[in-house]
Amino acid sequence: MARAAAAEPPRPRLRLDGAAAARLAAGFALGLAFWFAFSAPYERAVAAGAQALTRLVERPATTSLAASEGEFRLDRSDFPADSPRPGLPAADLHFNFVLLAALFALTPRPLQGANLARFGAAAAILYGVHVAALCAQIQSLYATSLGPWSEAHYGAVSRNLWAGAFHFYQVAGRFAAPFVLWWGLSRFELGAAKKG
Amino acid sequence: MTREEDSSPRRRSLLFLARFAVLLVVFYFLVAWRPVNDAAIVPFTAGIARVSAAILSVLGEDVTVSGTEIRSPRFAVNIENGCNGVETALLFGAAVLAFPAPWKRRLLGLAAGFAAIQIINLLRVVSLFWVGAHRPALFTASHTVLWQSIVVLCGVLLFLVWATREQRARAAVTSASDGDGPRRRR
Repeated sequence: MARAAAAEPPRPRLRLDGAAAARLAAGFALGLAFWFAFSAPYERAVAAGAQALTRLVERPATTSLAASEGEFRLDRSDFPADSPRPGLPAADLHFNFVLLAALFALTPRPLQGANLARFGAAAAILYGVHVAALCAQIQSLYATSLGPWSEAHYGAVSRNLWAGAFHFYQVAGRFAAPFVLWWGLSRFELGAAKKG
Repeated sequence: MTREEDSSPRRRSLLFLARFAVLLVVFYFLVAWRPVNDAAIVPFTAGIARVSAAILSVLGEDVTVSGTEIRSPRFAVNIENGCNGVETALLFGAAVLAFPAPWKRRLLGLAAGFAAIQIINLLRVVSLFWVGAHRPALFTASHTVLWQSIVVLCGVLLFLVWATREQRARAAVTSASDGDGPRRRR
């Protein structure tokens, strides 16, 4: 263990000073601008990923997803033609990208190549989290909101599991995910240096 | 020094994240449990609605409160889970309890952080109501993206400030014991 500590190069210290506040504010503003600019294509990418993942476990594969006007529109080939199609709000699912951008900007020397690479890796993982959360939301909807069809296709355990999984994402997961990715992937030590 | 402090930064970071994740899941189950939600979260949210309405009245808004709903002739808003600061408090609480520190300082950090998060959240509710009443076109973006991100970022910053102070206090104790007492062999 001591050898591992010695082998690892020293990490830069994160000092919570004016420069850190400026980096955080700039990261937040840039993240927000990027999020607003690229939400529509990003939602199409999340819909494609979630559709592929959902169809992977469906027999027969009936679910299709499309992103439009800030919603994921859910359809199934076995839905009655005249029934309304559910729309799932998209921004709630992926606005946490702005948090991720702000937190990575807070890291010392955020524009250094290695830090940008870590941010890219974190954003890629966050995309996976968004796809998984959308799949959980779809399964939660199937399991709890389609009346007799839900009861016929989902047992009590799976109803609770899917509803609980998506509710966890809504209450805690979507806020915790950027923090966990930042803390786990970025390299820094908290500001106080040991004396002596 | 504890065994954890002796370990590499990477290992310390992973241990912290493991504890954080476990605590977050435990806290989630606690607040999602219906008896806790009905007996604690809903009355607490109604309290936020009353305090927010009082502030809005001082600011000249003609508001009434019913349970967790604030209503005026121009706009009405229902404060739900996700808008009561509890989700940020869960995040902050899990991070503080996962961070290695004496229990007394953890509890002090929790109390101070919870109070600060609630003050920030009151600012959110009041400003969102004002935006809804006077700039309705900006409400959705302000509600979903701006304020949620700001409150969570404040929660993370509060944790970082507390954790940095905690590191500093620990470093001072270590340095004092290294200087005053018999030197330990490394």
